[in-house]
Amino acid sequence: MPYDDLRGFLEALDEQGQLLRISEQVKAEPDIAAAANATGRIGEGAPALWFDNIEGFTNARVAMNTIGSWQNHAISIDMPANTPVSEQIAEFIRRWDKFPVAPERRDNPPWAENSVDGDDINLFDILPLFRLNDGDGGFYLDKACTVSRDPTDPDNFGKQNVGIYRLEVKGKRKLGLQPVPMHDIAIHLNKAEERGQDLPIAITLGNDPTITLMGATPLKYDQSEYEMAGALRQKAYPIATAPLTGFDVPWGSEVILEGVIESRVREIEGPFGEFTGHYSGGRNMTVVRIDKVSYRTNPILESLYLGMPWTEIDYLMGPATCVPLYQQLKAEFPEVQAVNAMYTHGLLAIISTKKRFGGFARAVGMRAMTTPHGLGYVKMVIMVDEDVDPFDLQQVMWAMSAKVNPAGDLVQLPNMSVLELDPGSSPAGITDKLIIDATTPVAPDNRGHYSQPVKDLPETKEWITKLTDLIAQQAKERK
Amino acid sequence: MICPRCNDEHVEVLADSPVPDVWQVFQCQHCLYTWRSTEPLRRTSPEHYPEAFKMTQADIDNAPMVPSIPPLLPEDQR
Repeated sequence: MPYDDLRGFLEALDEQGQLLRISEQVKAEPDIAAAANATGRIGEGAPALWFDNIEGFTNARVAMNTIGSWQNHAISIDMPANTPVSEQIAEFIRRWDKFPVAPERRDNPPWAENSVDGDDINLFDILPLFRLNDGDGGFYLDKACTVSRDPTDPDNFGKQNVGIYRLEVKGKRKLGLQPVPMHDIAIHLNKAEERGQDLPIAITLGNDPTITLMGATPLKYDQSEYEMAGALRQKAYPIATAPLTGFDVPWGSEVILEGVIESRVREIEGPFGEFTGHYSGGRNMTVVRIDKVSYRTNPILESLYLGMPWTEIDYLMGPATCVPLYQQLKAEFPEVQAVNAMYTHGLLAIISTKKRFGGFARAVGMRAMTTPHGLGYVKMVIMVDEDVDPFDLQQVMWAMSAKVNPAGDLVQLPNMSVLELDPGSSPAGITDKLIIDATTPVAPDNRGHYSQPVKDLPETKEWITKLTDLIAQQAKERK
Repeated sequence: MICPRCNDEHVEVLADSPVPDVWQVFQCQHCLYTWRSTEPLRRTSPEHYPEAFKMTQADIDNAPMVPSIPPLLPEDQR
């Protein structure tokens, strides 16, 4: 059954032994972040973490790392916990093809239980906020979905955007929000600011995992995250109407913050330890004024630790980045077989493709760089043949080592766009990009000596089955 | 009290612990650094705060704008 809220997902994690309850008293800092950081350093299959005994708080409840392992990711999309990564991505692709699935509008959202307005708002009264990394400028909300609309087309449901953007709590009702220029909210903000208008937003905290995954998925500008959420969870996604903005928000969220990004205002924000494994540096960032808060009684604060990869954010963004890139490339080039863009939100991508003619593979690589997501990411592409699995790094390294002659296989593009957070970009936001063509050249590109590849023997398949059976039999006898 | 990050003296209380007298959250009104009184010294004490994360007036003045503010459209095109 798909989850209508965070609590249902936490129950499922608990039932499958993937929720670890920390009962001893912890300090908000550094314990919560350090424990979540540690989930990425204890091997595969790390559980989600639950804290409800935090020094100085009375009713605080914090959930971390809910999607922070392949097991948890599988449970988040309602698959058996032991499903291999490649099968999780294949299923994600299959479900994507059902897009769009119309959402279901529901009444009586649980977050309507309590509300507070205007100057009576103090986010510190409602949420057990805490710091993640030493150099962070403050306490962040880093797993919230922000909903905004196109100011020039506010009734267009598809253009309504749901995205995860970092939010620094900078006052009792003030936030800093990072709209990466390549992301859809930056388009909405630009349109509002060139008209001198504030941009209304709704921020949803403590969400079901499907909308969290969608918030991290680079959909096309006019594709609805709610309609894709329905496809991914194989059931209409439940939404409700936010009381102040009238925006569509998840029915099951713990907390809804509504307000505006103030027009043409910037203020010092950060730094923040980012998904690149580096701090962002201080930025003059947008300012959000919160005008209304609606929340469940004793809401659960969900957050994620991010820092030196891999951390939860890499599991969260991994498949969610591979699938749209694959779908967007496949739509134009059916030769594309698979896309592995799991490294640092797709700053590096590995793409396998058949070749129509010489030079084809690198053209596909260039196209990946001009997809909506590619404009701000996809700094490096490794192109591999159709029989190389881009998720099998042994095979990819073989292709790189045997198929690449730097004399003709490196395509370097100067001064391309990338998100400013890329620590190698200089100036921030500008970088050269690189295609490494590790495919076998085909005519009329006749470079190299690739006419005699060694292939698996015809009888090998039969022996794979035989050896597998014999090994299983031997293991059984030993028991 | 001074800000551990920029040494400014204008610090305000942003929150008190729900259990009385356990901690307070402070905020520097100059660089907006925010911290809880019970955090490790490396985050709360100017002497122990890492040099790499200190913030100067120049850092604030020269921080890149994200995203940049677009020019206003003429009135008749808004």
